[in-house]
Amino acid sequence: MTSNIGTVARAMTGFGNSAIGSAFGSWLGKIAGGFLVLLVLTAIFAPWITPFDYAAQNLMNSNAAPGWPHLLGTDQFGRDVLSRVIYGARTSLSVSATAIAISISVGMTLGAAAGYFGGFFERAVMTVVDLTWSFPDILIALIFVATIGPGLTSTTFAIAIAYLAQFTRLTRAQIVRLKRETFIEATINLGAKPRHILQYHLLPNAIAPVIVVGMLAIGDGIVLEATLGFFGLGAQPPTPSWGAMMSSGTAQLFLSPWVIIFPGVVVAVTVVAVNLFGDELIRALNIRDRIRGA
Amino acid sequence: MLEVRDLEVAFGPVAPLSGVSFSLAKGEKLGIVGESGSGKSLTAMSVMGLLPLSGGRITGGSIVFDGQELTTLAESAYRKLRGRRLGLITQNPMTSLDPLQKIGPQVDAVAVLHLSMNASEARTRTVEILGTLRIPEPALICDRYPHQMSGGMKQRIVIAMALAADPDVLVADEPTTALDVTVQAQIIRLLDDLVKERDLALVLITHDMSVVAQTCDKVVVMYAGRAIEYGPVEAIFDAPQHPYTQALINCIPKGLSTDEHLSGISGTVPTVSNYPKGCAFHPRCDRAKNICTSERPAFITYGNNAAACHFAGDDR
Amino acid sequence: MTNLLEVRNLSKKFVTPGGPFRKARAMHAVNDVSFDLAKGRVIGVVGESGCGKSTLARLILRLIEPSAGELRFEGEDLRAKTSSQMRKLRADMQMVFQDPYSAIDPRYTVARAVMEPFVVQGRSPEGSVDKEVASLLTMVGLNAGLASSFPHQISGGQKQRVGIARALALRPSLLVLDEPTASLDVSVQAQIISLLEQLRDDLGLTYLFISHDLSLVRYFCDEILVMYLGRVVEALPDTDLPARHPYTKTLMDSTFTPDPKQRRVIAPLEGEVPSPFNLPPGCAFADRCPYTTAICRTETPILTSGTTHPVACHHPL
Repeated sequence: MTSNIGTVARAMTGFGNSAIGSAFGSWLGKIAGGFLVLLVLTAIFAPWITPFDYAAQNLMNSNAAPGWPHLLGTDQFGRDVLSRVIYGARTSLSVSATAIAISISVGMTLGAAAGYFGGFFERAVMTVVDLTWSFPDILIALIFVATIGPGLTSTTFAIAIAYLAQFTRLTRAQIVRLKRETFIEATINLGAKPRHILQYHLLPNAIAPVIVVGMLAIGDGIVLEATLGFFGLGAQPPTPSWGAMMSSGTAQLFLSPWVIIFPGVVVAVTVVAVNLFGDELIRALNIRDRIRGA
Repeated sequence: MLEVRDLEVAFGPVAPLSGVSFSLAKGEKLGIVGESGSGKSLTAMSVMGLLPLSGGRITGGSIVFDGQELTTLAESAYRKLRGRRLGLITQNPMTSLDPLQKIGPQVDAVAVLHLSMNASEARTRTVEILGTLRIPEPALICDRYPHQMSGGMKQRIVIAMALAADPDVLVADEPTTALDVTVQAQIIRLLDDLVKERDLALVLITHDMSVVAQTCDKVVVMYAGRAIEYGPVEAIFDAPQHPYTQALINCIPKGLSTDEHLSGISGTVPTVSNYPKGCAFHPRCDRAKNICTSERPAFITYGNNAAACHFAGDDR
Repeated sequence: MTNLLEVRNLSKKFVTPGGPFRKARAMHAVNDVSFDLAKGRVIGVVGESGCGKSTLARLILRLIEPSAGELRFEGEDLRAKTSSQMRKLRADMQMVFQDPYSAIDPRYTVARAVMEPFVVQGRSPEGSVDKEVASLLTMVGLNAGLASSFPHQISGGQKQRVGIARALALRPSLLVLDEPTASLDVSVQAQIISLLEQLRDDLGLTYLFISHDLSLVRYFCDEILVMYLGRVVEALPDTDLPARHPYTKTLMDSTFTPDPKQRRVIAPLEGEVPSPFNLPPGCAFADRCPYTTAICRTETPILTSGTTHPVACHHPL
């Protein structure tokens, strides 16, 4: 009996999301997506591919211009810029991705509950969430820095809170729209509990736009992380971070511009790639939705 | 007044419409009937010269209106005809009106544009037309917005706009599909009266055989982008020659007889990309023979009807 | 004959709350509706848009909570059931929806959609899942090969058949059909109706058939309830009976027959269904009725059996 229910449940498992594959279909998607995959791999395998120790100082060779063996030059402490940029990818990506993951999980939960149950609960949640939206990101970061001190934890929470409202609102809007669909009424009429409706119908149908917005938010998160790092509120020395590197490079802007240029270029290219790939994802999903809706 | 010959329409490589012919005189009511996807709306769009809007074009045949060939007509010349001598009533009255504009100005615009009237002349005319459409208090209605009106009332406004420039041909594309039954009866009767009073030629596009039976003089039955039967309404209903026409009539319950049985037509309407070879209806036809799968039937005249069926006229 | 469903004085009042810029408004979507549905019978509820027929369907299944009245299903008081008791009971009372295009989750395959009732109710089919899917699809006249298709890959008529298979998966005794053919082509409509007839005979089902199409209701049903603005204005125990309510008469006259020789010169009913908000006192049909007298504007007529069958009119035909 129970094993039979298991079989039914297995028969009901959904189908894989092929939108990401479809986003790789265009040449723009291939370039942007390829760059991002490369960046993630670089961040993961940083210890094996960096030519130097990112923290090793060599004051005898400070502010060396790009060349051999320091391909991207060295900073004012003689540290290898390339190695620091590679490790910076680790910091930036992990902080941004962790923050957005937190933001999505909390935001989707709140948004789904608000959208499904409605009433006073919905109004309370949305008011609080909108309130977080009305604070500038930097101010939120300052609050965390003031309470738990500067560092990556503060940065992560600051980014998570900065994007919470967006995911909550997006999820709520999706759920409210989906709730009116006939198949939801039909499933309620089968005797389904709210949990079943949410887990097997509302959330799976609401998740696509959340993923796309999450993707784009990771790009914004990287910029925010760099900004906080630049102001000294994020990663603390010697942890390499793109923002902190640029900040320390300002002192020798004319003496050794490569210290500030290379992390800046990487931030810019990453954000552009994230946005391009996000656009490709939206395109892919739109096409699919149109096919489904027809 | 209007004569369509072997009309053929293409959207890029696909040809959803071919071999459509009919003619229509003043005071006549022609019904074009078929299921969704049969090409009946495309026929209407072709006559109105609206195909380019959706990326289609006429690749063959002719449409002659009052002695004038329309398939080769320049868009600028078409614009003078459309709304002026060819009126169009669309299916969905809810979206045919500008929600931000009052009713009066929307109807006035037609007379201002096509009959070069000034604003006050146009308004006088609008009130007069709304009156003939049995709209109560037409002068007051002019100051209303579309959202303040019911569906049936909005459809009357759409009809008023189609009539404002005193057209010769009125094309009505499913004018009552979105409406309730009692309102449908009102609108159909209204169209009937308008044809009589104004000596219009009406092309009524519908999927409902009973609307055709109650309204039209002539019928074109369409299936999979082709006309498959053509004839006067009594003949079509008395002695339909094409099995599809017969099946369509059988789909509608006639009313009181309790021994009646609705069977429907098995299978589904083919899509443009996979029109069957030979007679497009053969996969759903219970009289289909070998010849039907390979050879497209030509029109056979039988009595007053002409039907594109290999067996038209047999055993009846 | 035992009654599967007994409905007594069922009412639903929707209230839109007032605010600083608008008045609170109340709408009687369904007003004082009573009828019995015997096992194996088909009752048709007919009326124009806004008459409350779809709300009535949802009240009976408690998808919308009634404001007042009684509901008995197989002798049990439905309104007294807790929500968990109600969830179990839903297996016995199912619904087929008007819009097959949105009645199936776009992410679900046909197989997953028709097996969902088992998952929801924590039951398992007698044989294997594949066998059950195949037998359900065959039952509604679909090729079992469609099991792995997604809704966007099948036609509207096929989707509606999937909807019917899904509703019948747990073998309910009552099936509420909410305009199941209104968004389909005529040829497909006839197919679906004939399928429903056959299923009714094979499975001994009882139907409540909601429709705006009087000729279809007369063809398909055993009894007819005519609704106008939330109230039942006439209850015809037999579909061949002549109309006694002027509204029913108009509905019958407005229905076109597919016969050019029977063209009716009807005087079409003027005006349209008034807004269900702020209904005037008296008979709701008074403004459109040719027989209206003073009493129609002051007193609401009650559904009473006269010489033949119940009608709510001061001046029945």
